[in-house]
Amino acid sequence: MKWTRVIVYAALIILALLFLVPLGVVVVNSLRSSQEIAATSLIGWPSQLVFTNYGQAWNRFCMAEHCWGIEPYMLNSLTLTIPATIISTLLGALAGYSISLWRFRGDQFVFGLVTLGIFLPEQMKLIPWVVVLRDLTLMNTIAGLILIHTVQGMSFTTLFCRNYYVGIPQDLLKAARIDGAGFFRIFWRIILPLSPPILIVTVIFQFTGIWNEFLYGVTFTSGGQQPVTAALIALSAAITSEPMYGEQSAAVLIAALPTLLVYLFGGRYFLRGLTAGAVK
Amino acid sequence: MTIKITRRRLLAGSAAALAMPRLSLAQGAKPRITAISQWSAGSDGAAISALGKLFEDRGGVWQHNPVPGFTTDMMNKLRAQIMAGDPPAISQLKGPEIAAWSKIAPTVDISPLVKAAGYADKVSAELAKSCQPAGHWIALPLQVYRLNTLFLSTKGMERAKVSKAPTTWAEFNDTAEKMKAAGMIPLANGGNRPDDGQKFEIALAGISPEVYRRAIMQLDADALKGKEVLAAFEQLRKFSNYMNPNIAAQPWAVNLPAFVKGDMGMVLTGGWAQGNLFKAGATVADFSSGPAPQESGPPCFDLNADCFIFWKPKSADLDAGQKLFAEVVMEPSTQEMYSKITGSIPARTDVNLAAEGFTDGQRNSAQNLRDAIAKDRVVLSLGHNMAQPNGMTAAMIDVLTEYVHNSAIPAVEGQKRLVAAVAGAQ
Amino acid sequence: MRTGLAPVATGQDAGRAQGIWRRRLGGVLTELAIWLPLSIAAGHVVLFTAWTTWVSFTASSLMPDYTWVGLRNYWSVTRTANFQIAYVNLLIFGFGFVLLTMALGLLLAILLDQRVRGENVLRTIFLYPLAVSFVVTGTVWSWLLNPGLGLQRVVQNLGWQDFRFDWLVQSDKAIYTLIFAGVWQGAGFAMALFLAGLRSVDADLVKAAQIDGAGPWRMYRRVLLPTIWPIFITVFVILLRSAITSFDLVRALTGGGPGISTMLPTLVVYDFMFQRSELGRGSAAAVLMLLSLVVVMAPYGLYVRWQRQRQARA
Repeated sequence: MKWTRVIVYAALIILALLFLVPLGVVVVNSLRSSQEIAATSLIGWPSQLVFTNYGQAWNRFCMAEHCWGIEPYMLNSLTLTIPATIISTLLGALAGYSISLWRFRGDQFVFGLVTLGIFLPEQMKLIPWVVVLRDLTLMNTIAGLILIHTVQGMSFTTLFCRNYYVGIPQDLLKAARIDGAGFFRIFWRIILPLSPPILIVTVIFQFTGIWNEFLYGVTFTSGGQQPVTAALIALSAAITSEPMYGEQSAAVLIAALPTLLVYLFGGRYFLRGLTAGAVK
Repeated sequence: MTIKITRRRLLAGSAAALAMPRLSLAQGAKPRITAISQWSAGSDGAAISALGKLFEDRGGVWQHNPVPGFTTDMMNKLRAQIMAGDPPAISQLKGPEIAAWSKIAPTVDISPLVKAAGYADKVSAELAKSCQPAGHWIALPLQVYRLNTLFLSTKGMERAKVSKAPTTWAEFNDTAEKMKAAGMIPLANGGNRPDDGQKFEIALAGISPEVYRRAIMQLDADALKGKEVLAAFEQLRKFSNYMNPNIAAQPWAVNLPAFVKGDMGMVLTGGWAQGNLFKAGATVADFSSGPAPQESGPPCFDLNADCFIFWKPKSADLDAGQKLFAEVVMEPSTQEMYSKITGSIPARTDVNLAAEGFTDGQRNSAQNLRDAIAKDRVVLSLGHNMAQPNGMTAAMIDVLTEYVHNSAIPAVEGQKRLVAAVAGAQ
Repeated sequence: MRTGLAPVATGQDAGRAQGIWRRRLGGVLTELAIWLPLSIAAGHVVLFTAWTTWVSFTASSLMPDYTWVGLRNYWSVTRTANFQIAYVNLLIFGFGFVLLTMALGLLLAILLDQRVRGENVLRTIFLYPLAVSFVVTGTVWSWLLNPGLGLQRVVQNLGWQDFRFDWLVQSDKAIYTLIFAGVWQGAGFAMALFLAGLRSVDADLVKAAQIDGAGPWRMYRRVLLPTIWPIFITVFVILLRSAITSFDLVRALTGGGPGISTMLPTLVVYDFMFQRSELGRGSAAAVLMLLSLVVVMAPYGLYVRWQRQRQARA
């Protein structure tokens, strides 16, 4: 019936617009001058388009003595997020593979423990991590942060990968074993090629989670090594003393770009991966 | 015989090479200082950067790590550094926290430096006490704010046809009613936790600084249950009714445009509001400031100060850096420069503020401080963590902030809860 | 650690019933590859939880201090108004957020399942909130929901002077604004999972139902939704986890206010541990949070166990 199609489209369009409103507000604000926003309202059309906010946010706004914008912090975040995502994904795949296809005593128990990690609040883990990083002399290094996010990320990635791998038919493995393949050969030749859907899901999750993380980022780094979330918070702290809504909006958009791109390109695979992966 | 370059030899060699510069450092150590603060933006950020530049001009190496976010995040960073055995040379700390934190890591006794500069009697006794928890100086104040300051919007006053600043709470309420009648929002305060705490303390200090001292600073139960505290709660309820109803969880800066335009009339806050106003484009003509209403006697001084604590350094260059920093920060010219940028007043009471760059509000504030010290009417701020350690402050402000934002709580109940909170947090 | 070639005897688990071989001693490398990451991951969970539990029984304030004080911290934490409000809020927020997100996600999934044009674009639009950090979400929503700055003012300026939407600044209603922001952020995720599930339903099942004359409404109700029942559970668990560990969103949107009316357990932990520098009490609050999680997750764990047994028997 035609009118149901109309309703479906109408509902989708209305909902889509509602979903886009916050993004729209930020985009519009990034094109208004901060003075104008402070003088009128946080929601409104620009009286004139201002493009300097982006330049200002990128390499001119000041965090105390350093007026280098958010550019260096973006680089820090990339240096942190990309390795941590890749390592935690691979380790999660390995662990999920071990648990689901190579049974050993206590495997369910270990899996349960690892999965429990996703429920631990990060505030609780802060001080133990300080002790760990101190003993490993990794305080104030990006490597320390990578370690933290990798270990914590494993809880999620193992969960997803293991749920995905239990779906792999046993016959595949049996055939490979008969051919004489061992643990690593099977992983490399059989498991990994089958994994892209779930790996994309874990990469998206991990990238987003690590990129947007603030508490650890600020506690375990100093000054110019801080991740981009620190710069965003600095901008919002500035609001209390001088209105910088325009630059703040521009900075927010710039900082959100990598994750948005990841979702844009990975979105298709996200769905396929979820079909097989987390859905257990 | 060739000497094998083993790894061990390499390590030994480099260790020796590293050790050598240290010896030469002791002779002509370039003073270096590592600092942690939360001042990453705004006028605070500008001021600390200027201080850093001054430090470098005097030959030092300035390494400042601003931690964005709330003060808590900065303290967290400090805690992490201390636990890792690597505290910064100086870090931002204030009030009773100086005493609390000094117990967990070694500090430097800078009393000789203070004595040499003749600094001790130039600052308020309350402030000096907070910097000497064990009897000797381990911290130095950077700047002082008067919290019980009343800012009035010039246009707002015109609109409400009010010609003079109120000097008692009765006059204040009167003025507020006039403003309300003129269609304005009388009180432009913010809706954050420190904001709510400071409104209460301004009310109580304005009623009686002696009771404030006993109740808030000494936590005397009788004072807390007394009628002055009840009166303060009642005044606080009036404040919440005079405030912008949409201000919850927003800083007062959101009201700035309305304040300058005259749609809002008064702000009860610390001297930093002056910096906010200038940054928002206001001029000296747009507002006036003076002491908040005082029921009896000359205006008291509700003190809020930022200090830097000196942690025991691990190398000679940090040691030299600390000495240089202490010297720099005690100098009148440094404090003048700092206060010009942030709108505070110097911690030293002998700085002449007649110079260009200070407002009348600041001069008035500085004079107020001198008088208050002389008459022993200086009290420490509750909302800004000067009067009590963080745990107690947080418990008290829980009660105050809930009271402000929930008009169903009567004053008597508010007072009861405050007493209970104090008892529970001890 | 055992090694050996014996295939695992069939047991009740569906996995074992398929006769998997125990791993052969593939050398130290294999052992390492299996055990090192797993033991670090599992180990950190156990050790950190154990340490926190231990600290919760000590007099730790600014720094860990291992003087035993028994249950004093628990006693003092549970008696603060902060804590009590936080748990009530967790119930409200937890239920509201999880149920509404699932409902909206399901609706979106069903709508997108109708083979609409531009499905890719629409799906991206609904998914993008997930990419944005909670801090940003909280901040933007705090603007939108602020009566003086955002939506209410805009609508009033457009002419509807009586429009009110000031829940953000009312002590008893602010918690619902958290639900709004949370649903906006999480609905896309729920949608993705439900859509994936709907799309993977066995085609024969659908055809059979169509032959039986089932219309779209009946199709969903009788066939598709019951088939993707396991997905409901997964979505529920992950959303619940999101609600319980939610911190950045609350801090950015309301800061726990107005007053202390939107406190949540994670904020209580943060407040005690770091703001008040009372590690002992903060750890006690954290342990209580974990206990409440166990209470919620235990039924799920039992359900999974029951389901696996059912599958094995089938």
